[in-house]
Amino acid sequence: MTDDKDVLRDVWFGRIPTCFTLYQDEVTEREAEPYYLLLPRISYLTLVTDKVKKHFQKVMRQEEVSEIWFEYEGTPLKWHYPIGLLFDLHASNTALPWSITVHFKNFPEKDLLHCHSKDVIEAHFMACIKEADALKHKSQVINEMQKKDHKQLWMGLQNDKFEQFWAINRKLMEYPPEDSGFRYIPFRIYQATTERPFIQKLFRPIASGGELHTLGDLLKDVCPSAITPEASGARLQTTEPQHICAAEVSVKATRSTNFLSDAGSL
Amino acid sequence: MSCSMAGEEDFVLEEKRFKQYCEEFIKRSQQIGDGWEWRTSKDLGDGYLSKTHYQVRNRKIPPDLKEKNHDNCEQMLCTHVEESLDDSQAAGVCATEVIHYEYHVLYSSSYRVPVLYFRACFLDGRPLTLDEIWKSVHACYQACLLEGPWDTITQQEHPILGQPFFVLHPCRTNEFISSVLSSSRKHDRHINYITLWLSTVGPVVGLNLPMSYAKLAPEQDTNDDSVESRGEHGLRIA
Repeated sequence: MTDDKDVLRDVWFGRIPTCFTLYQDEVTEREAEPYYLLLPRISYLTLVTDKVKKHFQKVMRQEEVSEIWFEYEGTPLKWHYPIGLLFDLHASNTALPWSITVHFKNFPEKDLLHCHSKDVIEAHFMACIKEADALKHKSQVINEMQKKDHKQLWMGLQNDKFEQFWAINRKLMEYPPEDSGFRYIPFRIYQATTERPFIQKLFRPIASGGELHTLGDLLKDVCPSAITPEASGARLQTTEPQHICAAEVSVKATRSTNFLSDAGSL
Repeated sequence: MSCSMAGEEDFVLEEKRFKQYCEEFIKRSQQIGDGWEWRTSKDLGDGYLSKTHYQVRNRKIPPDLKEKNHDNCEQMLCTHVEESLDDSQAAGVCATEVIHYEYHVLYSSSYRVPVLYFRACFLDGRPLTLDEIWKSVHACYQACLLEGPWDTITQQEHPILGQPFFVLHPCRTNEFISSVLSSSRKHDRHINYITLWLSTVGPVVGLNLPMSYAKLAPEQDTNDDSVESRGEHGLRIA
């Protein structure tokens, strides 16, 4: 793990330059200027956009403001997905900065989860961590931790504190020396083209012969259309390339205690 | 909830077994007309149990503000669509709301347990908040089922449909299921995991399983073709 510290840091400090614009139909008392922000790839929209909210609320009337939500080219953005995933899924082929539209009305109930407070984000984040550990360690590591350790993970993320986060996360990334890896690899494969939000299956890090599985092995097993152009057929004809954000397969590099890794998109 | 006793194996529900229990459960549901069906996803072939039903609610609107008993103002009566609306609507004005409920049972491969997803909306499409759903749970359940083996209800993304649903957390499912199942196996009785689990967690969110899911031993039921131990006259939950 320690030799990968550079990679861990690169992933943690990844940023996406973003331009927030208020939706044109929102009623304002003055003209709303766009707001620019560098978004952390590993965080969540509703966790890092307090300044965006304040900026636009300044030009709006109180009664016009209800729960904030974000949209990109007509698609409501799921705040519970990491920002890097949202970008890779919807906008990675477009020029920077990423243009996001801000809404305060007509919350899309059928598409988005509500996010009435930071507690909701914390609960979601911790649920992901716990599920990942259920797969990696049968929940033994996460359950042995004290509440204050869980809190430290969350605070590290919330306050962008790499060392604070990894002081706890490294325990979630270890396995006994007699084992050659986690019990199962926590991963999710997202595709913008499917109704199913992601593919998630049980997948062991070691093959029956004892060799380490690779990302290619994983894809062949759970998402073969991603690597056989012949099979995906008509999709190659479309203007939008089939886009998959692969999560981490190998143990190294990243915050793979959460499902998403920003090892990059394919 | 008590911990597993020494020597008692923890029952692990594999996905294949989950599907078998669901199949059995649906057969029974069809026999008694309870409305459960299996939905298969086209892309990966996995699936889930699904049930929808409509609930009619009568909201009493007081005829005037001189109502002495303020509790009557917000009284909500839940009735099934088949039942006739009762006489309470005679006094004052009644606003009838029809609510569409959806319940899905999915399998969690991470936790090896079934998970209950649900949502509700009015006929105009407006979804109910968790608070509004909670209010429709029968008062006695609200009290005693708060002691149950689950943590909380939160809003989450449905893993197959990708839409917001409410979810009952599977945290301690295995504890209470294991103890009942291992004792049933000792007495050579067949219990359907889904029936057991759903009859326990369902009522918390307004989902009730009719008593007909529990039926007498096979000697009394000539329609039954599942393998049963003869000579057992105990109640069998199929």
